[in-house]
Amino acid sequence: MLALPPVSLRGQQAQPASSAVSRYQAPVVSDTGDLKGPRQPIFFRHDIHAGQDQIPCMYCHYSASIASEPGIPSLQTCIGCHQLVGGSTPSHQAEIRKVRDAWRERKPPEWIRIHALPGFVRFPHMRHIKGLGTSLGVEANATCATCHGDVKTMPQVSLVATLKMGWCVRCHVQNKVSRDCSVCHY
Amino acid sequence: MAEHAPPSRVTYDYVTRTIARTLGSPTRGYFLLLGAAVALLLVGIVTLLYLLRYGLGLAGYSHPVYWAVFITCFVFWVGIAHSGTLISAILFLFRSGWRTAVYRTAEAMTVFAVMTAGLFPLIHIGRQWYFYWLIPYPNERGLWPNFKSPLIWDEFAIGTYFTVSTVFLIMGLIPDIAAVRDLATGWRKKLYALTSLGWTGANEQWRHYTRGYLYLAALATPLVLSVHSVVSWDFAMSIVPGWHATLFAPYFVAGAIYSGVAMVITLLVPIRKLFHLEEIITLHHFENLAKLCLLTGSIVSFSYMTENFVAWFSGNPHERAAFWYRAFGEYWWASWTMNICNGLLPWLLWSKTVRTNITALFVISIFVNIGMWFERYVIIVVSLAGEPYQPWANAVYNPTWADWGIMAGSFGWFFMWFLLFVKNFPAVSISEVKEVLPPPKRQATRAGAH
Amino acid sequence: MTEPINRRRFLKVLGVSGAGAAAVSACGIGPEPTERLIPYLIQPEDQIPGLATYYATTCRECAAGCGLHVRVREGRAVKLEGNPDSPINRGRLCARGQAGIQGLYNPDRVARPMVRNAGGAFEAIDWDGALQRLSAKVAEARGKGIVFLTGAEVSTFGDLVDEWMRQVGGRRLSYEAFGFDALRAGNRLAFGTSSLPTYDFANAKYVLSFGADFLDTWLSPVEFQNGFSRAHAFDGGRPASMAKFVYVGPRMSLTGMNADEWVGVRPGTEGALALAMAQVIVSRRLAAVPADAGRLSALLSAHTPRTVAEAIGIEQNVIVRLATEFANARGGLAVAGGMAAQYANGAEIAAAVNILNYVAGSVGSLVKFGADLAVGSAGTFADVAALTADMEAGKVGLLFVHGANPAYSLPGKFQQALSKVAYKVSFSSYMDETAAGCDMILPDHHPLEQWADSRPRAGVTAFQQPVVQPVFDTRQTGDVVLRLAGRTGTFQDYLQAKYRTGRGAGFDQFWLDTLATGGVYGDAPTRAVRLGDVSNLAVAAPAAANSEQQDVVVFPHPVLHDGRGANKPWLQELPDPVSKIAWHSWVEVHPDTAKAWGLATGDFLLLKSDFGGQKFPVWITASVRPDVLAVPTGQGHTAYGRYAQDRSANAFELLGVQPNSYGGRNFLVSASATKTGEHRKIVTTEGSPRERGRGTVEVLGVARAKALHAGDHPFHHEETPEYAAEAVAWWAEQQHEKAELGDYRGEQPRWGLAIDLSKCTGCSACVTACYAENNIATVGEDLMQRGREMSWLRLERYWLTDEHGAPQGAVNSPMLCQQCGNAPCEPVCPVYAAYHTPDGLNGQVYNRCVGTRYCSNNCPYKVRYFNWYNYAEREGAYEAWPEPLSMLLNPDVTVREKGVMEKCTFCVQRIRGAQNQARLEDRNVRDGDIVTACQQSCPSDAIVFGDLNDRRSRVYQLAGNPRGYHVLAGLNTKPAITYLARVVAQDTPSHG
Repeated sequence: MLALPPVSLRGQQAQPASSAVSRYQAPVVSDTGDLKGPRQPIFFRHDIHAGQDQIPCMYCHYSASIASEPGIPSLQTCIGCHQLVGGSTPSHQAEIRKVRDAWRERKPPEWIRIHALPGFVRFPHMRHIKGLGTSLGVEANATCATCHGDVKTMPQVSLVATLKMGWCVRCHVQNKVSRDCSVCHY
Repeated sequence: MAEHAPPSRVTYDYVTRTIARTLGSPTRGYFLLLGAAVALLLVGIVTLLYLLRYGLGLAGYSHPVYWAVFITCFVFWVGIAHSGTLISAILFLFRSGWRTAVYRTAEAMTVFAVMTAGLFPLIHIGRQWYFYWLIPYPNERGLWPNFKSPLIWDEFAIGTYFTVSTVFLIMGLIPDIAAVRDLATGWRKKLYALTSLGWTGANEQWRHYTRGYLYLAALATPLVLSVHSVVSWDFAMSIVPGWHATLFAPYFVAGAIYSGVAMVITLLVPIRKLFHLEEIITLHHFENLAKLCLLTGSIVSFSYMTENFVAWFSGNPHERAAFWYRAFGEYWWASWTMNICNGLLPWLLWSKTVRTNITALFVISIFVNIGMWFERYVIIVVSLAGEPYQPWANAVYNPTWADWGIMAGSFGWFFMWFLLFVKNFPAVSISEVKEVLPPPKRQATRAGAH
Repeated sequence: MTEPINRRRFLKVLGVSGAGAAAVSACGIGPEPTERLIPYLIQPEDQIPGLATYYATTCRECAAGCGLHVRVREGRAVKLEGNPDSPINRGRLCARGQAGIQGLYNPDRVARPMVRNAGGAFEAIDWDGALQRLSAKVAEARGKGIVFLTGAEVSTFGDLVDEWMRQVGGRRLSYEAFGFDALRAGNRLAFGTSSLPTYDFANAKYVLSFGADFLDTWLSPVEFQNGFSRAHAFDGGRPASMAKFVYVGPRMSLTGMNADEWVGVRPGTEGALALAMAQVIVSRRLAAVPADAGRLSALLSAHTPRTVAEAIGIEQNVIVRLATEFANARGGLAVAGGMAAQYANGAEIAAAVNILNYVAGSVGSLVKFGADLAVGSAGTFADVAALTADMEAGKVGLLFVHGANPAYSLPGKFQQALSKVAYKVSFSSYMDETAAGCDMILPDHHPLEQWADSRPRAGVTAFQQPVVQPVFDTRQTGDVVLRLAGRTGTFQDYLQAKYRTGRGAGFDQFWLDTLATGGVYGDAPTRAVRLGDVSNLAVAAPAAANSEQQDVVVFPHPVLHDGRGANKPWLQELPDPVSKIAWHSWVEVHPDTAKAWGLATGDFLLLKSDFGGQKFPVWITASVRPDVLAVPTGQGHTAYGRYAQDRSANAFELLGVQPNSYGGRNFLVSASATKTGEHRKIVTTEGSPRERGRGTVEVLGVARAKALHAGDHPFHHEETPEYAAEAVAWWAEQQHEKAELGDYRGEQPRWGLAIDLSKCTGCSACVTACYAENNIATVGEDLMQRGREMSWLRLERYWLTDEHGAPQGAVNSPMLCQQCGNAPCEPVCPVYAAYHTPDGLNGQVYNRCVGTRYCSNNCPYKVRYFNWYNYAEREGAYEAWPEPLSMLLNPDVTVREKGVMEKCTFCVQRIRGAQNQARLEDRNVRDGDIVTACQQSCPSDAIVFGDLNDRRSRVYQLAGNPRGYHVLAGLNTKPAITYLARVVAQDTPSHG
């Protein structure tokens, strides 16, 4: 996992990574059955949006860097683009049609939650993004990847980190940040 | 020990037979007792299930009385456990012959009492399913128990005591099991053959055995002092007036032995009757136990006085308030039960007629048990209820069915094990009783033979 | 806030998963359920997930009109806080205000319109259907008498109703169970105006209250308390202020409890006392007597101390002394109200007190006419009595009830009358007694869901805006009325139209600004008043009850008030500030009386007046006159939801329904009192009422306090008694180098509180604030009776007594976790659930706690509370947040599960929140960034939070105050809370 001090993190990302990202081509997925992670009501391709099209995470999850919660983008956000973008392949078109239908019927999709913490844990996203590198764009993507994995290459998002306390602690130790209980538990 | 010589008809052979007889097929009375014990245990189990499902609220706790009957029972049973090691280990080292007839019962009692006591800390915590967080084990969260907390010391003290006393009991059993093995038939023979670890009674074995037993006794002796001292620190280490006293360790140890010996008497009297061991467990034994009671009882009563004196002498208003409340507050009846049962009654034992009257002893021992239970109740509940620091927060606590249910269960649990034990293993040490018998006459000519 | 449907659905789900998560985190075992995430359709730009949004609106729990800031998270209102811009409450909020949110998410709200079917049972009906029916009813009721009954409603909504009533030939009445008829009549008698003035407590030098409970229920409690504490606290507002406060009345209320002196006069004789004092002032020229005082001479000469002292039941030299003190204070303020204004001669008493103020020269300076408080505009009790009579006589064809519950406060009589009305409609959001008697219920939005305004006083217009989408299928009554009146547009349009006039283009800006600040705040010009003809003012007390009858005083409960608070668990579980009794009603009996009648606390006493009888459990207290019994209102509902229904007895049953001479209602009745033989364990948080000199509260005489200089330590002895001195010294020695270790080097903050006992009035607003902020469970009557309430912050009330041991007031001490620097709770926890945080808090890690409860045993302050059951369990026996109450749970605070210990951590979630924000802005936390919930609510500003390591912080200054002391410091716990000793007027204070 990418639990390195912010500086080296940026250093890593500086030249090669960004160019690597631009070269990234999302695979054509014919069968979603063998993909990791739960199947969502709409087959939303993070790998196409964040990877291929290089849309920054915070374009949709805009509150992650200012608030404790990243938030799920409202349907309006999706439609913003997909009013025009209809999709290149039939399978894509089919999925995008679902989005448009949902918009028309005013019935937002019910996503299955993947990253969940117990009720007694506080995870302020903004603090972690601030700590691991704040600026938007690919670097922010890398920052998010610390916990969410390399989402920009995931056709279907799945859990990469355990999100268990031991895992949190390891990172806090490596980054020499507080391990006081009442930082996360209250 | 000539003056202690038992009647002549008590020979090696007699001993083996009488004691082996206790293992004979059980009577209806025995089954009734066992049934009663199991029934009580079931009550406890059902209560526990309720507690797990709905929470400790079912018990009588009320702010600020956060420890009550459960911890009272915990300390009570740990106390009971004490006489065992004392009699078997310390008296063994002092070579006092009279212990031989009673130590097996005492030891068994010890083991089962510890088994009972150990349950309470688990039952009384709020989230019983996380009890293992009290045990130090490495984990990726880097979390450890707080070794500063007396509760953790407790856990180790009790653990050690349980291990040692169990080993001690089993070891003492080996030659006896071998003896009954030779008499037994059927599945029992197999069982004893297994548990007697191939004991043949060869000199070689005896030599190693006695040596080993001696070392084990030496090892166990300090525990008698350590265990209940540590238990007492659960209280002494806190700042609660009525708990926070340097006196507590010796006071608790004395109390523990006191209650333990009382319980031994309570158990021996019926056993002796049931199994017709009058010849082997004689008045002489009871008198010695009674003397032990008298000694420890006096230490306890003295501690009561000291406590109150220090509370007054300290000049600390909170201390004074606490002890005033103890004597004259809502719980005066509990304190006075304790004082009378533990302080006054045992003084009857100064008279030899009482000491040598089985019935009297039995009654007194029962009262001491009650008194010792109330002692813990008074120390724990009353000190908390009085709340000398924040008079605003004081409250009166009343136990509920849940408290009694768990307590009943603990007695069931204890007696179930004890009854099973006396039926399946010699409740009196065959080999050691023989040790204190005069060797049979013909022995002299037939040298060497056993 | 678009798309109500989806938003509401979203809210519901959020509510569920929120609570679900709570329940799961609560059960600690088993996997999390697969949660669903339902996004907004359109993201409201003012809602950022994880960030709180604050909306300014107005509290409608009483007519005072305090400004609110509502904290909204993900579309759920999670906390009500005071609006600092409001001139009325200045950012403070009382317990009743805090609990308003439990009205919004109350599980017993009427979820949809209901109509009584042929079978007489209520059945659901859709809005259109209901409104069609109703318009038909209106049409046929024209001419048969249409009446619209509202609460005190000086607002655009009120105007609308008036308009409509004119249109359909009906009339509007407004009704408050505790009206201010006597006050208005009194003002009319004395000054010829029936409007209500404002009272400037803040600048008073001497406060004299004739039964007016201005700290709990009278007119505008939060405002008055704020002002009072400035005047009365030691060096509160001005250098060495400390205006003496004398309370005159038969019983000591929350207000009376804060008095420096209690004059327990015979009920009804307050007026005589006031006049006698005026007589002394005038005759001795103690004040610059106004020119027209001459017309008083006749009246006053009839009321010399000598003539009236005996009737009042106090020595005449006391009267003289009081008069002298009052006049010499040059700025004495006398107020009449509460009990004093509810006797048969209440109007005369009010007039007499006016005269006292007048001769002392306080009218115009401290008593300012011109504000015309809204509560004063409510119809008189006589009007309501008349209405009842009309209903009886069948003269009312159609009755609308909004914001009032007369069937509860006029039990029997009104209910019977109600049945005689052809058709009656309730707009209540709850199934209260009145609604239960109606034919149709058209549930109104909760005030937090609606557009509205109100004019609590001249110059102030307070606005309401919806802060959440409607929780249920309710509709704003304004809209309903417009629809019935056959007008287009919503009430929102109607409201805006009203303010648009004369503003033109500037309107939009005005509107936005007003919504942002919560209202239009201005001062009304003070109107000069002149003394009317009072020559034949008869203040004689009503005939005392005969021997076998008892004087029974019925007083408004400080938080349940006229019963409207009874459906809110926070208020039910909040111990009454005086009696400390919760969840049920009681009757106050003086110890002597109790001895004479052989009564013990908890025995039931049957009170029978000419109008009705009720049983109340006895609470024995010296805070009431021996010849008087006192009973609170508020309980004994026959409807009004699970929290209110069938709880104890309704004191209104004892009262008559016929108005008295000035059109008010008598709250003093004579009744027979008989012991029933029944007994109950009363639900009280009071263990021992006596502090027993254990150093919990410290009291200083004012002279001694004034003599203190910086650096003095008057309580040093209590802090380190001889028996502890040596140990403490040794410990300090040991700590010396330890204090330099790692986190504890003092580079981190050390959070601390300062609590000024001479400001604290015991009003308990902080307690409710704490419940609201920290998701504290309400455990209900049964468990509270067993001492299992979870109140992290409790108010300990210790009586101050005079030399005879009679109470002369009380010291109230908020007791909460002291966040000890050397905490007894920490070392004993076997799993580090209780541990010391680097910033000096006694952390409590709920998810680590296994519940050995050792920490609580070892806590000398007894401020740790244990979860005996799972209070978050759905449908559980002790469920604290039944749907949709769970929506107000604070998402920043863990909902504790069964079997764990919990306690105050100085609102650590607010601390961490401020630290996160500061970090984002690359700065340090500033003093004042963090405000604890208790501090925020406190109307008298008695609590101050901050960093003790920051020498510029307010709390650091206060901690150095010579009045400061630490509770049980002798135990060397090194508490982070500094209490500032209570200062009392008498020089030799003695307390329990």
